Amino acid sequence: MSDSPGKPLKVALLGNPNSGKSTVFNQLTGLRQKTGNFPGVTVDMKEGRLRFPSGFDATLIDLPGTYSLYPTSSDEKIVAAVLTNPKDHYYPDVLVYIADVTHLEKHMLLLTQLLDLGIPVLLALNMSDTAAEMGIKVNIERLAGQFHIPVVPISGRTGENIQKLLHELERVLKNGQPFGLGETAFYPLRDLEKQVVDDVRKKLGIENAYQALLLAHHHSWLPFLQKHERETLETIVRNKEFHSLRAQVDETLERYDRFTPIVRQTIQQAGNAPDTPTDRIDAVLTHRVGGPLIFFGVMLLVFMAIFFGYDTTGGWVENTTGALIDGLAASLNESWFSSLLTKGVLPGLQGVLVFVPQIALLFLLITILEEVGYMARAVFIFDKTMRRFGMNGRSIVALIGGGACAVPAIMGARTISNWKERLITVMVTPFISCSARIPVYLVLIPVALPTSSWWTKALIFGGMYFFGLSAALAAAYVFKKILRTSDPSFLALELPEYRMPHWKNVWLTVWEKVKAFIAGAGKIIFLISIALWILGNTGPDGALLEAENKVRAEAAPTTSKDELDDRVAAKKLEASYAGMLGKSIEPAIRPLGYDWKIGIALLSSFAAREVFNGTMYTIYSLESVGAQEEEEAADQSPFERYGRLRRQMTNDRFENGDRIYTFATGISLLIFYALAMQCMSTLAVVRRETGSWKWPVLQFLFMSGLAYLIAWLAYTLLPKI
Amino acid sequence: MQRRYRTISELKINESALAIAVTDPALAGKLTAMGVLPGTRIELVRPAPFGNAYYIKVDGVRLALREEEAACILLEV
Ligand SMILES: Nc1nc2c(ncn2[C@@H]2O[C@H](COP(=O)(O)OP(=O)(O)OP(=O)(O)O)[C@@H](O)[C@H]2O)c(=O)[nH]1
Repeated sequence: MSDSPGKPLKVALLGNPNSGKSTVFNQLTGLRQKTGNFPGVTVDMKEGRLRFPSGFDATLIDLPGTYSLYPTSSDEKIVAAVLTNPKDHYYPDVLVYIADVTHLEKHMLLLTQLLDLGIPVLLALNMSDTAAEMGIKVNIERLAGQFHIPVVPISGRTGENIQKLLHELERVLKNGQPFGLGETAFYPLRDLEKQVVDDVRKKLGIENAYQALLLAHHHSWLPFLQKHERETLETIVRNKEFHSLRAQVDETLERYDRFTPIVRQTIQQAGNAPDTPTDRIDAVLTHRVGGPLIFFGVMLLVFMAIFFGYDTTGGWVENTTGALIDGLAASLNESWFSSLLTKGVLPGLQGVLVFVPQIALLFLLITILEEVGYMARAVFIFDKTMRRFGMNGRSIVALIGGGACAVPAIMGARTISNWKERLITVMVTPFISCSARIPVYLVLIPVALPTSSWWTKALIFGGMYFFGLSAALAAAYVFKKILRTSDPSFLALELPEYRMPHWKNVWLTVWEKVKAFIAGAGKIIFLISIALWILGNTGPDGALLEAENKVRAEAAPTTSKDELDDRVAAKKLEASYAGMLGKSIEPAIRPLGYDWKIGIALLSSFAAREVFNGTMYTIYSLESVGAQEEEEAADQSPFERYGRLRRQMTNDRFENGDRIYTFATGISLLIFYALAMQCMSTLAVVRRETGSWKWPVLQFLFMSGLAYLIAWLAYTLLPKI
Repeated sequence: MQRRYRTISELKINESALAIAVTDPALAGKLTAMGVLPGTRIELVRPAPFGNAYYIKVDGVRLALREEEAACILLEV
């Protein structure tokens, strides 16, 4: 534990769910943290820098919350896998254990397991602000003396004693003196456990007895075990007839028997607080009738916030960035670089920026719902409903989160212990209309229904969400019938006390997610728009020049310069590589009502669907805007956005003179974008979460196949007006 | 033979009883780790709106349990 240079010290935070771990993490690191949220970053856990008062640094790792080292879900498994493997990258030098002091007994189980593993532990008694209000008194010295570990009462919410925690931690890290229970384990092994442990220690050369015991318990899934180690453990467990499940329960009960008296001696309860606001709130929010009704009301409010929020923010961002790009274009000399910048990259990035306020708003609302404790109630209410569709109550959190972005939502499904329920959740979450689809819908709805009233369009917009949800549930139902598993399935969920949101937590969470989103989507869009610009501006030898000369030669002398430029640009695009690519897939998408330009957008959208608008901008801004471009009138609704782009789209025609963007094509495109799997980030995260390419490939095929089929049906059946 | 225990589904709303055992080993590991132990007092707060689950309190901690999970907790008569 000395500070050997080059090897930064590692401190890990651990605690039961709802112990306030994330809050303490945020207090300790503030903005000096990063989450390995998006593909490409291999870290799974939140990491931050700890800066000690005296100036030296350590890495702080936020481990997932768990009740014990006998995990049931894959996020809990991470904890057991790290802590039973001293060679793990995340194995801490010191562990800060966060316990909720208002329910201390419940939090001691995991603590005593950690002590038996011989990891140096510092106990932080969190929520001491609430404890003080409840009149709970703790004898800190006595508690520290019993376990031979430093104990600091803190509050993640008020920041009380956080500095003291840092001091204590620094002292522990620097002195490096051994502490904890040393050789004497808190839990005395039973005979059978002793025999197993002795064997494991001998054959695998492991020193710590409890570590050896955990290896025996978890040998079937611990990821770091070599094949021969796994087989050795398997043999030991079989020969000794060691029954893991029964042993776990016995061990847990024994631990409780041992620490309960200690806790009772050190804590003074001022009598139970009888009726808390939580009980009264839950009488309404989990009410037989009121509960579900309020849930749908809340979801409707969230949806309306997206829709009307877009009106102000999305429009503002579009107008401002649009003006900036136009200004820049006017001030730059004409060159390939200015064209790449103002007609390729920037309009592409604009397509992402336009819905950043939207995704931030959604993340904000969802984070608040989680932070106050409401999500757990939604899980409780809808567990039965979700199980009908082969999922778990916890899936509702992923489905709601999918409304913002499928990537973090899918990672959140780790809390589901049953493999099948989790897999189904992962597979169908991308059907939920994410915020990347909002701008696409807003362009396409008015294209499909140019003359309808404002509220008809709003209704269709809402219908798209309903459509996505129905597709998700239908697909889940099919998976339920096909997949088989013997995994146990749990609800067993703690319903936390309702609390006012801790705003620092909220801002940090939203900031993290938005940042990860912009980094992920921005990178992809940046690359795609460059690729698209190059493909759109180059072609086979002399093809572009030839196309231009041909148009100019054939044009009647009376043609205006603007019109001529338009035609030249259109023909050049057609002759370019991008045009050739679009044309090559045109036969496949013609049955859906699409032309080669939509084909280009479709192809690029398979990287990320938000590229659609950007691509459309790029494609149509390759043509001159035209002198007749009117000033945008003061906009009345979100559907008036993208007016310039939409007007160019609606005027576009097939070779035979038919309008491309008819009602049928518009609806067909809407359906395609609602259902198709068009997001590389999601596929990458599904690959990571399921551990194989099989599932993302299947997901891509069935989602896009379904999209094609239904879009084709719609185009075939609907009137082409 | 008379049964010497009951389960959560037999409690009235707001009624409580002491737990005497947690049976199913597959579920017991999880439940005991969450604080559902023999000797703790279990109160039924309300069933879930669509059924199939219970909102209970265990020593002041609020938990949501499925029917199967609740069924393996044996309560004193
Ligand atoms: N009163 C009080 N509330 C706190 C304190 N620390 C955290 N909280 C609140 O407790 C709730 C849970 O905190 P989190 O930090 O999300 O807990 P966690 O352990 O990370 O929970 P999971 O993310 O579910 O693992 C939040 O509403 C916090 O605002 C504290 O010291 N005092």
